[in-house]
Amino acid sequence: MGEISSRAGIAALALLSLAVAATGCASGKATGGGDAGAASDDGVRTGPGVAATTITVSALTDLTGPYASFGKSQTQAQQLYFDQVNASGGVCGRKYELVVRDHGYDTQKAVAAYTEVAPRSAAIAQFIGSPMITALKQRIDGDKLLTIPMAWATTLLGSRAIQVTGTTYDIDMINGVEFLTKEKGVQPGDKIGHLYFEGDYGESALNGSKYAADKLGLQVVEQKIKATDQDMSAQVAAFKAAGVKAVLVSVGPRQTASLVGVSLAKGMDVPFVGSNSAYSPQLLGTPAGPALLKDFYYISAGTPVSVKNPAMQKLVADYQAKYPGETLDSGVPTGWSAAMIVDEAMRKACEAKDLSRDGVLTAHRSQSGFGGDFGTPMDFTFFDRPASRSSYVLKPDKAALGGAVVFREPEVSALAKDYPIPTS
Amino acid sequence: MAVFLELLVNGVSVGAVYALIALGFVVIFKATEVVNFTHASLLLAGGYVIARMHPLIGFWAALAAGIVAAALVGALVEFLILRRAHVGSRGVLAIVTIGVDILLTTELTRRIGTEVLALGDPWGDRVLRLGPITVAETRVVALAVAGALIAAFLLAFTFTGWGVAMRATAEDAETAALMGVRLGRVSLSAWAVAGALAAVAALFLCVFPTPGLDRGTAAVAMKAFPAAILGGLDSTSGALAGGLIVGVTETLMNGYQSELVFLGRGIGDAAPFLVMIVILLLRPSGLFGTKEQARV
Amino acid sequence: MSDPTPSAATPGRGVLRAALWLPVLAAAVVVPFYLEGFWLQAGLFAMSAAIGAIGINLLTGAAGQLSLGHAFFLAAGAYSYVYLSSDVGLPTPLAALAAVAVAGVCGGLFSPIAGRLKGAYLGIATLALIFVGQHILFNAEPVTGGFNGRPVPPMELFGFVFADTPELVVLDVPFGSLERLWFLGLALLAGAAAFARGVLRGRPGLALIAIRDQEIAAGVMGVPVARYRAGVFVLSSMYGGLAGVLVALVFQRVVPDHFGILLSLDHLAMIVIGGLGSVGGAVAGAAFVSLLPQLLTRYGDALPLVAEPGSGGVSPAEAARILYGAAVVAVVLFLPGGLAGLATRLGRVRLKELKWAKSAAAPESRR
Repeated sequence: MGEISSRAGIAALALLSLAVAATGCASGKATGGGDAGAASDDGVRTGPGVAATTITVSALTDLTGPYASFGKSQTQAQQLYFDQVNASGGVCGRKYELVVRDHGYDTQKAVAAYTEVAPRSAAIAQFIGSPMITALKQRIDGDKLLTIPMAWATTLLGSRAIQVTGTTYDIDMINGVEFLTKEKGVQPGDKIGHLYFEGDYGESALNGSKYAADKLGLQVVEQKIKATDQDMSAQVAAFKAAGVKAVLVSVGPRQTASLVGVSLAKGMDVPFVGSNSAYSPQLLGTPAGPALLKDFYYISAGTPVSVKNPAMQKLVADYQAKYPGETLDSGVPTGWSAAMIVDEAMRKACEAKDLSRDGVLTAHRSQSGFGGDFGTPMDFTFFDRPASRSSYVLKPDKAALGGAVVFREPEVSALAKDYPIPTS
Repeated sequence: MAVFLELLVNGVSVGAVYALIALGFVVIFKATEVVNFTHASLLLAGGYVIARMHPLIGFWAALAAGIVAAALVGALVEFLILRRAHVGSRGVLAIVTIGVDILLTTELTRRIGTEVLALGDPWGDRVLRLGPITVAETRVVALAVAGALIAAFLLAFTFTGWGVAMRATAEDAETAALMGVRLGRVSLSAWAVAGALAAVAALFLCVFPTPGLDRGTAAVAMKAFPAAILGGLDSTSGALAGGLIVGVTETLMNGYQSELVFLGRGIGDAAPFLVMIVILLLRPSGLFGTKEQARV
Repeated sequence: MSDPTPSAATPGRGVLRAALWLPVLAAAVVVPFYLEGFWLQAGLFAMSAAIGAIGINLLTGAAGQLSLGHAFFLAAGAYSYVYLSSDVGLPTPLAALAAVAVAGVCGGLFSPIAGRLKGAYLGIATLALIFVGQHILFNAEPVTGGFNGRPVPPMELFGFVFADTPELVVLDVPFGSLERLWFLGLALLAGAAAFARGVLRGRPGLALIAIRDQEIAAGVMGVPVARYRAGVFVLSSMYGGLAGVLVALVFQRVVPDHFGILLSLDHLAMIVIGGLGSVGGAVAGAAFVSLLPQLLTRYGDALPLVAEPGSGGVSPAEAARILYGAAVVAVVLFLPGGLAGLATRLGRVRLKELKWAKSAAAPESRR
């Protein structure tokens, strides 16, 4: 018995070492095959995701989770954008290829999807979900992979590879509080409520409201909830008891609808100011619609689709032609302009004949006055501060395309201008 | 004091909805001793049918359709899956209901897509004023319905053949079968009744103060678990008591969040579970549950 | 483990077993040399899930105790590892061991409740662990980092770092953190599986099954029921903690959202699909549940019926959920014993044929 099993053991070892030795030559992973930093035939330095005829761009999105509606509009808008660029000849002699991965707002799936697509992507044009990006922040930074997060938490700043578009939630809330004091009669000494989600979205926003309230002599009454909470009666009762003069809203659309509806029904008729993720046009069709149309505003750096500028009108027409009957929400211009940021970076990098990851980042970080058609102008030359500090005040409107119109043109409040970004 | 009363009344009103959900758990547990995780998707199914039907046939007919549809789904789950499952223990059956729930919820949320569906109820956003306190009319109706249904169940358990068969099964399934109770029929009817209850609960879950039915609606079913267990998993009046305790705890904790900041913000969601643990430590079978007695 | 004819059967079985395990072992060793990061990471998630599933299988499968709180113990392990290595400054292997112990202590602290409650009541009571646990993860910021989570320090074993730096090339293949962790994961899984096997095949396993099947009878026969119940709860928590440490090392950052109720439900589905009370089954179930969505997302475009993401229709993620729900249902309807049961049945058929062949050839070999 001993003899046989030791013989088996020797055979096992031999086989094992043979197998391991064989791998060295056969594996595609073996070094030397990689083309990192190599120059292609046209004299352009290339990096991962850039082949002779294609540039691969990825979208890590949510099509089956809580942000499915947003993710769908954005993904379709980006598909439209890259299709149009490809139809007009592509960039740098190459065509874009968009790889879409749905993580359903699940951290593990997002990490897995990133690991899959990152090695073969030149940029990530869309990445939904702060928890997911936070979990991957160090890796994205290390991979030098230009990434456009679809989340606006302050904690996402500070990475050269990650480009948070427009304002962060705290800036929006500072502009919102200033709007309340200037135009909605909120006085120093007043109390304002802030209903916010657990997590970086809500807590980033709270940072802003607390800062502004402190500077303006207001007092913030905090109410933190979870994404699964649906009925805001208790929160309204607490706000009402505290005697708030206005309420800031950094939650999901569902909770916003409940909050505004219950407040009005209970006779708490105050202005509401939401973060850009607090509103969705789908709400206007629900019983809470009338309450939202009354005295609710939301703050965003993104231009609403109802604005009549030529670029926006073309986007709307093209989108409706390609996706007839689909909801036109803020995800459409947001997704479109994120795709545009990636495209611009590639074009600039192509001019410099360097499409390596580092080349793309350098090209991207050289732009100081980006956009204006789909959002407030952005400065990409730094990454420890938001790219923009100016935000629109928008108001729901049933008749308008996308369910919202501009209530006040974009402004940088004095407070937002001097606001020191908290470092994490 | 006014704040406290307002929160209390609101807590009771939320609790009424939890009680309706918990009642569905209890009916199935009583008849089959299975913890039913499928309840969340039964809620969604009932709500979905009401939401889709009410523009076509009016609210009351749609409600009836929703109740029938959810009852049918419940009965089918029992008939096609649970009855035929080869498993050793009730715990595994509970896991099977998780599997069924995933199947149903995925399909229903896919159908709901990104919409927020209104249920077309007649109460709208009207509120009832009791001095300084206001409470949504929908919730007053929910409380009345929950009370009426629980009374009806108590009567049915005592006076109807179905109720007696169910209690006998709960007591000792084998003996009940020997005495001529058809276990399959008892279990099938329990699932159908639970489905119907889920549709009623879905109605009150999706009307004012919440904006409507969407893909996240079913998540609330989790909160009904502590409600069901607090009262005792096999007690219908326990479901009402448990629902109210959970609703009041949650609402008070949320309302006094600023005063209770040392517990961490957002304690309202965790508090019902803490209360549940405390009560279970004192009474392992819940407030009104039957104690399992074993004679050796 | 009594073999009626040890002298004749063992060598044959030994060779057979070696022949069975050898390709598995060889494949496991070779994998990091060929497969890209995506697969290694998927494999590592599956290994972590498998360790967690073995733990919950001891509790739910062998001892018949439903628990919905398993994700909490994963969180306890993951966060303790981070805290103990970064803040307390323990060497990382020690921190990992201590983290597993902390998860066990958490299970122990819950055991007064676990010992008092039974069946469905305990199952639902463990839900509290998830919700209270999430509350703590979000609010105890100095320790957990709040919503933002915390970076996970890489494991360092005898000077060997399980991270991308310093660079390491083995046989021309660059060895990053995933390649290195692959072997750590394999070792942990093998150890965890072997230990659980020992527990299940020894006296404790028999006692647990006795408690599951006839609690009162087990008590009468002298099995210390309460002690075994609490003990298996603690052991299963420690498995959860180990799975948590591994998943943290793979993630490189812990965030609270990951450790929610869905993670617990996934683990329960794994053991039903794999086969209750079987170590191999837990591993197979874990592989199925954790690899399925990733395969479908990746190769969704090549499959019929599965629509392109964003185009309407059944998306890959939805298809994965439906298949996973259907698998749970299908197993209890058509495959009692799960994947492990299936393997045993197939194996039994094969072994029978083999025995028959051997008995025919026996006279000659006995010369």
